[in-house]
Amino acid sequence: MVARREIRESARSRSFAVTTLLLVLAVAVGVVLPAALAGSTRPLLVGVVGGRYPASAVLAQAGRLTGTPLTPVEEPDLARARSELDQDRVSLVFVPGKEVLLPRLPDPGATPSSAAVLARAIAQLDGERALLSNVPPQVAAALERGAALPVRGLRPQQRTTSLKARVTGFVTAVLIYALLLSYGMRLTNSAHEEKSSRVVEVLLATLRPSQLLLGKVLGTGLLFGGQLAAMVAVAFAAGLASGSAAVQGAAPAVIAVAAICLLVGYAFYCTTFAAAGAMVNRQADLFNVTLPIQIPLFVGYIVADAASFSSVGALGRVLAFLPPTAPVVDPALYAAGELPLWQFALSVALCVAGVVAVARLATVVYASSVLHTGPRLRLRSALGRGTR
Amino acid sequence: MLELTGLSRRFGATVALDGMSFGVARGRVVGFLGPNGSGKTTAMRAVFGLVGLDGGEVSWDGRRVGADERRRFGYMPEERGLYPTMKVGEQLSYIARLHGMGAGEAAAAARQWSDRLGIADRFSDKVESLSLGNQQRAQLAAALVHRPDLLVLDEPFSGLDPVGIDTMSEVLREEAARGTAVLFSSHQLDLVEHVCQDVVIVDRGRRVVSGTVEELARGERPVLEVRVAGDPTGEWAGALGEAGEVVGNDQGTLRVLVAPGRSQQVLDVARRGGDVEMFAFTRRRLSEVFRQAVGQVPR
Repeated sequence: MVARREIRESARSRSFAVTTLLLVLAVAVGVVLPAALAGSTRPLLVGVVGGRYPASAVLAQAGRLTGTPLTPVEEPDLARARSELDQDRVSLVFVPGKEVLLPRLPDPGATPSSAAVLARAIAQLDGERALLSNVPPQVAAALERGAALPVRGLRPQQRTTSLKARVTGFVTAVLIYALLLSYGMRLTNSAHEEKSSRVVEVLLATLRPSQLLLGKVLGTGLLFGGQLAAMVAVAFAAGLASGSAAVQGAAPAVIAVAAICLLVGYAFYCTTFAAAGAMVNRQADLFNVTLPIQIPLFVGYIVADAASFSSVGALGRVLAFLPPTAPVVDPALYAAGELPLWQFALSVALCVAGVVAVARLATVVYASSVLHTGPRLRLRSALGRGTR
Repeated sequence: MLELTGLSRRFGATVALDGMSFGVARGRVVGFLGPNGSGKTTAMRAVFGLVGLDGGEVSWDGRRVGADERRRFGYMPEERGLYPTMKVGEQLSYIARLHGMGAGEAAAAARQWSDRLGIADRFSDKVESLSLGNQQRAQLAAALVHRPDLLVLDEPFSGLDPVGIDTMSEVLREEAARGTAVLFSSHQLDLVEHVCQDVVIVDRGRRVVSGTVEELARGERPVLEVRVAGDPTGEWAGALGEAGEVVGNDQGTLRVLVAPGRSQQVLDVARRGGDVEMFAFTRRRLSEVFRQAVGQVPR
């Protein structure tokens, strides 16, 4: 009943409609932006060194299969081709029947570049062609180890963050921070309104404080979930319509991680924000009482932003496992390829434990504060009191 | 029947309840009187578990009051409280549903009580747009909407105009006639005398007097109204001694609390003061009972 009232009253408000619209727009922009930043697709230059048969057929087929426009560039010898590749004048080098060279092999956890995808396709196709042209004894051996040519990198393997990953991480951090803060403050205001209007006295004549708090966070949470679902739907619709890579490859996984983080983050912060609203009598005190809750959120946001544009240090990695900061930091680190899935799972488990602990404390604070009038109750006093 | 037994509660050095005990029977309207700070509101809040008790027990029909019992109680707190931005009708339905009513039943009850309390035309308005008097009516409707077995009202008449007071009084009597136990606090003693059947007077966290209005009005000592010609200040009463105690002076008509069996002596003293224009037994007013009980003018 309490949850239903929260949903109905919030959904009716103009601020909710405006917030939803802004968030959906932000998601759409976040999804379309990487595609826009990538600009129009220019053909990749593929250096081709010699060959026992014309390479153009392999290249044409690989380009068609991967949807990558390409332009072959004849190279006089391998040394010249390597030099061109090293100076980024060509995207990859194809030595028919032997190998395909890339400037650097892609990180296994990251979304491969167009050149890497094309290189794989060329290697596969030319390997098959080479296999078929060889004599039978070799066929058997080649089939055993696979038909593809080796794909090698000139320089050592290194983790990289593509523009798409960085933008996805940045947009995710902004959205998670904004959503958690927005819904947190919504709960703070709602709890404070009930306290300041004294309606809480009527409600608690029938309900236990924990029931009222649970109904409030559940109702707001369902609203939050609805808004989240709308954002994900818009993300995919905008991504498919714009052809954005934000909804292809590894990006859906980033969105899934972000959605989990939002839910966990909401569960962690919802009760604390509501309890904070119940602690003060004057609206003017709301900012002060919520500031200690906002600080870890903001720190998480700063770290997530940093992770989106550069590698984070040890502190950032620690914050990725702390329940107050993890919901904001994790998606950005995951998008940047700096948080393997098992570490994310561990972080979520820690967050869930944190949710339980914080919810218990917040319920005690809420129950002892919401009927308190007079001077603002200190946290220690609130934790030490109990009305029922 | 509601029973408060030995309630005690301290707030720091302040004793709010000091072993307070009294009962409210079904079908009775009980006035709950006491000076400010005497523990009335704390006792009422204790009925709903809104304040923790250091000792004592609240029971309903012999059972300790819990969540199930409270669902059958109605409460109007001293500091009125409704959602300011919620519509009157929706708010009443919501509260009715919290008390266990079904959706249809709650909506019908909300409509019925809005009609009964004269706010039907504001049914779809937000509470914050109502006048204070109408907010008060909406608050009463919120306490009544689920047809409670016990009604606890903290200062329900404050802020009401005479028409509102009449409506409120009527509703309380009707509810009691229906079998509801009604307990309300007030400083408007004449009103309490008019509306209530029983009265409980508390002071410093303890019950000091209780009984039916009739019993209290009758008292252990009779009251005489005496007027002596040419003595508007009642100087003649200075010679009463232990025969009587002046408890009021209404434009020269003194109200004298007479010691048992000494009414003739009072008449003799009055005659010595001049021509006695009036000499009649009368009821004690509740205000007099109150002053005597708490030993002072209401604070």
